[in-house]
Amino acid sequence: MTVVSDIAVAPRDQLNHARALHWVLAVALGLACLVNLQVGATDVTLSSVLAKLAQGETLSQIERVVLFDIRLPRLAMGILVGAALAVSGAAMQGLFRNPLADPGIVGVGAGAGLGAILAIVLGALLPVWMIDRAGNHLVPFAAFLGGWGSTILLYRVSTRHGRTSVATMLLAGIALGALAGALSGILVYIADDRQLRDLTFWGLGSLAGASWAKVLSAAPLILLSLGTAMMLGRGLNGLALGEATAAHIGINVQRMKSVAILAVAGATGAAVAVSGGIGFIGIVVPHLLRLASGPDHRTLLLNSALLGATLLILADVIARVVIAPAELPIGIVTAVLGAPVFLWILLKRRGLVEL
Amino acid sequence: MSLIAEDIRVSYGKHEALRGVSLTALPGEVTAIVGPNGSGKSTLLGAITASLPYRGTVSLNGQDICGMKPWQLAAQRAVLPQASRLAFPFTVIEVVRLGLQSGTAGDRPEVPMQALARVGLAHYADRTFQELSGGEAQRVMLARVLAQVWAPVENGQPRWLLLDEPVSSLDIAHQLQVMDIARGFARAGGGVIAVMHDLNLTALYADRVALLATGKRMAFGRPQEVLTDEILSDAYGCALRVSAPPPAGIPFVLPHAASA
Repeated sequence: MTVVSDIAVAPRDQLNHARALHWVLAVALGLACLVNLQVGATDVTLSSVLAKLAQGETLSQIERVVLFDIRLPRLAMGILVGAALAVSGAAMQGLFRNPLADPGIVGVGAGAGLGAILAIVLGALLPVWMIDRAGNHLVPFAAFLGGWGSTILLYRVSTRHGRTSVATMLLAGIALGALAGALSGILVYIADDRQLRDLTFWGLGSLAGASWAKVLSAAPLILLSLGTAMMLGRGLNGLALGEATAAHIGINVQRMKSVAILAVAGATGAAVAVSGGIGFIGIVVPHLLRLASGPDHRTLLLNSALLGATLLILADVIARVVIAPAELPIGIVTAVLGAPVFLWILLKRRGLVEL
Repeated sequence: MSLIAEDIRVSYGKHEALRGVSLTALPGEVTAIVGPNGSGKSTLLGAITASLPYRGTVSLNGQDICGMKPWQLAAQRAVLPQASRLAFPFTVIEVVRLGLQSGTAGDRPEVPMQALARVGLAHYADRTFQELSGGEAQRVMLARVLAQVWAPVENGQPRWLLLDEPVSSLDIAHQLQVMDIARGFARAGGGVIAVMHDLNLTALYADRVALLATGKRMAFGRPQEVLTDEILSDAYGCALRVSAPPPAGIPFVLPHAASA
C-alpha cells in the first residue's frame, strides 16, 4: 500500500534527457555535414579547399564547381529530405498510433510518386500561365497532393471508431502502393522521350542530380511541413491515449488529425518529388529515438528531424564511396540498414498487438 | 453549478440505446449510474462526456457542453475511460503528466507525483505503462485524471470527475481505495459521476443512484430509495434481496455457514 516516503522519490526525467539529445544530435549533424563535403568521386576535399583558402590561394574552377554546385546542393537536399522523411514517419506513427506506420511502407510514398509522375507527364497539358507560375514547384506540389490523397484514403480504410488496425493498415498500404505503381506505369507508357528521361532520373531514388534549383523547389514545402509538424507534439501525445481520451484532455482531435495528415503529405510529397522513394528512414529514426529517450512527441519530432538528416547524408556518403567512381542509389543503402530494423519491430510486437 | 443531462437519446444504427434519460448530478455528491449489462450506463456517460453523438442537452456548471471547446471542457471535467491502451512506451509519470498539461494546474510540477501517491503507485513512476497489470494501469489512469482536475473547486466552480467503471479490474482493497478517492473529491466540493457494476459498493459510496434498464431510467434517488428488492429485481430480471446490517452493537448471525 501507499508508503509516505514514496513521494520523496523523484521520477527520472526523460524529457530533459530528450532535450539534451537535441544538442548532441545537432553536433552529430554538423560533423556528418563535414564528412559529406569531404568525400566524393573527385580528389577535391573540404580540408584541401579550406587549407587553400587559409593560405589566401584562389580556388580552381573544378574545386569551385565540385564544392559549390555539386556537393553543397546535394548536402542541402540530403538534410531536407532526411529530416522530412524522418519527421513524416514520426508524425504518421503518432497519428496511426502504431510504430510501423511509415509513408514509404504504407503507400503514401507511392501516392506522392504518382502525383509527381502525373505532373511530369501531363503537366504540359496545363494552361501556360499555370505552368509559368508554378515553375519548379509543380512537381513537388503534385507529389504533395498525391501523398495527401493517399494518406486520407489510408486513414479512412484502416481506422474505425478511432482505432487503427495494424493489419488493415499494412494490407491497405500494399494495395494502395500497387495501385499507384500501376497508374504510374501507365503514365510511363504514354510519356514521350524527354519526359522518360526526366522520369528515369527522378525514379532512381537518390540524391544524385541535386541542384540548387531542385533544393529551392522542395525547400518551402518541406520547411512549412516540418514547422507544422513540430507543433503536433502535445496533440500526438494525447492521441497515444486513444481518440476519445485525447478529446477529454482538451485536444481538438479532428483538427489535429487533419493538420498531421497535411504535414505528413507535404513533407513526404516534397521529399519524394526531388529524391524519388527513399525508404526506411521514417521507420528507423523514430524507433531508435524512442529507445534512447522515450516516446514524448514534443521532443521526438525535432530529434527525428536532426537524426533523419544525419543518417541520410551519412547513407549518401556510403552510397558514393562503396563502388566509387560509380554510386549506389541511396535507397539501396537505407533499405539494407532499415529493413532489418522494421522486421525486428514486427517480431517484438507480434505478441503484443493483434496483427 | 451542477451537471444536468436532459432527455438524452442515443442510437446505434436502428437500435436506440438511450430513450430519453435525464440525470442531475450535484457537486459535493457521488452520483452512481447502475443497471444491467446493455442498459445504457456507459452510453449515458459517453453522452455526458461528449464522446458520442446524442440528442438532448447536457449542461456543465450552467453551460451547454455543445458550445464548449475541448480545452474548455478539459479544464472543468476529467474522464476516466473503462480500459486504456497506450500506443507507445510512455512511463507512468509521463502518462500522469498528460493529465496535468490539459488541466489548469499546469504550473504545478509536483502534482503528478502527488496524484500517483494518492493512488498508491508513486514508486512506479519510472515503469513503462505497458508493464503494468490491468488494475495498476487503471489506477495510473485515475492518477492522470486526478492531475487534470487537481483542485475539486476552482474559482468558485466545482470540477467534475466522470468515471466509467472505475473499479472493474481492481481487488477489493483497491476498490475501496478508489471509491474513497472519489468520495474525498466530492466531499471537497467537486462532483463525481461513476458508472458502477457493484451494487454493494454503490450502496456504500453513492449519495445518489440512477438505475437504468433497457435505455430508460427506472429510478433515481438516494441509495436506500433505489436499491430495493422490488426495483432491483425488476431491473435486473432476477430475484434479488436487499438487506441492511442491524445498527452497531447488536449482534446478528448469518446462517450461510450452516448450508455450506
